[in-house]
Amino acid sequence: MSRSEHPIVHLRGVSKVYGATHALSDVDFSCYGGEIHAILGENGAGKSTLMKLVSGVIQPTAGEIEIDGELTRLKGPSDAISRGLICMFQELSLVPDLSVRENLMLGAVGTGLGRLNADVVKRAQDILGQIDGEAIGLTTRVADLTLAERQQVEIAKALTRDPKLLILDEATSALNASVVEKVFRLIRAERDRGVGVLFISHRFHEIETLADRISIFRNGAHVETFDNGAYDYGAIISKMVGQRIDDLFPAKPKADPDADEVLRLEAFGWSDRLQDISIVLRKGQITGLGGLDGQGQGDVLQGLFGLLKGTTGRCLIGETEVSIRHPKQAKDPKLGIALVPEDRKTEGLILDQSIARNLELAALGTHGIDAADKTIYQPFLDALELKCDSLDQPVSQLSGGNQQKVALTKWLTLGPRCMLLADPTRGIDVKTKTQIYALLRRLADSGVAILLLSTDYEELIHLCDETHIFYQGRIVRHLTGKDVTAEAIIAASLNIPATTERSEAANA
Amino acid sequence: MSKVTQALPGVDALLPYGGAVLLVLGGSYFFPQILGLDYLAQQLQIAAFLGLLALGATLVILLGHIDLSVPWVLGGAAIVSTSLVGSGDPALAGMAIPAALLFGAVVGVINGAGVAILRIPSMVWTLAVNSMLLGVAVLNTGGFNPKGEASGTMIWLATGTVAGFPVAFVVWMAVTGVMALLLTRSGFGRYLSAIGYNEKATLLSGVSTPSVIFAAFAIAGLCSALGGVMLAGYANQAYQSMGDPFLLPTIAAVVIGGTSILGGRGSLIGTIGGVLFITLLTSILSVMQISDAWRNIIFGLIIIVMLLLQTLRRKDP
Repeated sequence: MSRSEHPIVHLRGVSKVYGATHALSDVDFSCYGGEIHAILGENGAGKSTLMKLVSGVIQPTAGEIEIDGELTRLKGPSDAISRGLICMFQELSLVPDLSVRENLMLGAVGTGLGRLNADVVKRAQDILGQIDGEAIGLTTRVADLTLAERQQVEIAKALTRDPKLLILDEATSALNASVVEKVFRLIRAERDRGVGVLFISHRFHEIETLADRISIFRNGAHVETFDNGAYDYGAIISKMVGQRIDDLFPAKPKADPDADEVLRLEAFGWSDRLQDISIVLRKGQITGLGGLDGQGQGDVLQGLFGLLKGTTGRCLIGETEVSIRHPKQAKDPKLGIALVPEDRKTEGLILDQSIARNLELAALGTHGIDAADKTIYQPFLDALELKCDSLDQPVSQLSGGNQQKVALTKWLTLGPRCMLLADPTRGIDVKTKTQIYALLRRLADSGVAILLLSTDYEELIHLCDETHIFYQGRIVRHLTGKDVTAEAIIAASLNIPATTERSEAANA
Repeated sequence: MSKVTQALPGVDALLPYGGAVLLVLGGSYFFPQILGLDYLAQQLQIAAFLGLLALGATLVILLGHIDLSVPWVLGGAAIVSTSLVGSGDPALAGMAIPAALLFGAVVGVINGAGVAILRIPSMVWTLAVNSMLLGVAVLNTGGFNPKGEASGTMIWLATGTVAGFPVAFVVWMAVTGVMALLLTRSGFGRYLSAIGYNEKATLLSGVSTPSVIFAAFAIAGLCSALGGVMLAGYANQAYQSMGDPFLLPTIAAVVIGGTSILGGRGSLIGTIGGVLFITLLTSILSVMQISDAWRNIIFGLIIIVMLLLQTLRRKDP
């Protein structure tokens, strides 16, 4: 816990300018060995720019960077890596078509010019074993892993490189609470042997449990650095956004258990991945799906959207039984189902196309909607406060939060009866989160039934009217009302019997 | 910012036209007759054959796929049409063109099935289809040039003129017009490039991606077949491997026209420019008094320069 005397990285008066945009202006910042330093800020506050500077991906427009007390100019990422500055980026940096083993060895210490260091793989396997990743096959193609598994491999890869400074940019965004806790244990161990850790996360409770010190960034400027615990949630949020956001979540109206059924799943199953799933979605309600990663929550959403072949069980929309075979059928106004997929960059959006083209894609060809009429999107874009130069801008130029706004709007214009959302706030800044939460609640109030898969249990507690917790392809707990607590969710996710959950949580 | 991104495809598409004008001006320095109406009209006529093939290829390439069955769809359509005409039965002769087009569409659907349903990479699947078509043709003709002849309509389509324009060129432009309407006025065009950029995201937007793939390959097959019918009219016969010299120029014309070989981005206007450029380049090189070896080297070099111009320009912010 004792932090080093001199900073590993020290930035003095650093600015970074892209065209007319000041991504960072005149920033002084230092990070010491032996401390976990969390960086907080909205998307666009300059966090990612800071990380890229420290990891050598970009050069500062003005100012100096000192590494180990020595004025340095990082020539590129490999220069940074050789100095022990190891970064795990938000955009995962694994090569999808190579196997896990090959990815681990790529650019590993002691590797080069045809020489491969097999020890790395052994160490990585050991680390994977400590973070619930022992099931990940080394010969599996990375493209075939789930997002969470990829993040686990990323973490193992970063730790095998003997970091002096470990930079984690949303490194745990797709992992769920129990794996995150194990990752944290590893990170704390690294800190205790003198490694400095820079940690970016949008999950407050993670920062609260992990960070030693916290730095806040806003609009490219370093606002303040303080010890963890010096301020409460509210104060921290108001420093981040410049104005106070009183409540992250909108007020939850009293759930009406007798509201009309919009969709009913009965004994829904899919090979051995899903068994006996029964869910009722009601008008105006937000229903949560929780649990560890890959326990079948995602498959339920895909099944409802017609993406799975060979599902069993009954699905009723209103009173009529339907069998949904294709997304085109699912989005038809007769069913009115919309899916906002988990990975907005590869599934939800076409990054190279303009905002307008992306918005049109779902609405095109739908009866009674003129997809080319841009005014139909405007109310939703306004409600979400989309920040863009024009609708002809490629989506790839938008920040993650703004991209998600486009991915949501594209479906909202269809006026769906039932919205399926797969972790829509993953890796998104607090302000955008509150906008999305508010929008979801408004949609629910207008009569839409919402099915929300979330890896953030705060969402399940504060946003959802009821929650189903998955474990190994089954629903193990159905939580409603006052029963939806963090302890209950975690216990159910680990399939610990309800009676012992209190003591388990206390021990954890 | 927004204006730049909107203008980009336009510049991509205009580049080959600039190249074509330079070719004509540069060529006319050595051969003044190049500026003559006769020469230019003849070029438009010849360009039409490649042009029809390239229209179909543009759709498939926008989709992020490739159709290597062009040579034998063209050859097969030529054989089907000339044999029906050569049979001497007027009823069969009347069916010549529709039958050839149907043949092209059917092969296109087979191509689409391999790509959309069996999920075999189009480069392999269409190459295999091309090879099988060759085999079927050889089985039928015994390896000799197929018997038969072109009908009057086919000859008129290939060599006639209306109002001073070659009919072949008019047909090419008419097909372009229909296709442009299809691409801009229906969802089909949007779906094509959306799939080319990201097939998964398109499927998840509730688009029936297999039907789009089927349609694109079927239209490409139709275009190749129409090219074959007209080329048979031009030569007044069908002959083995008549389509072989067209495959690579077709793809080159599409890519020079600014369509990304990876799919997504591109335009019909650009493809037409690419076709004009390649046709003029071939023609001007052939009237120059240089050896075949140099002609091929220069042809290759100029294609590379055009592609470099396209890629380098795009990299500049």
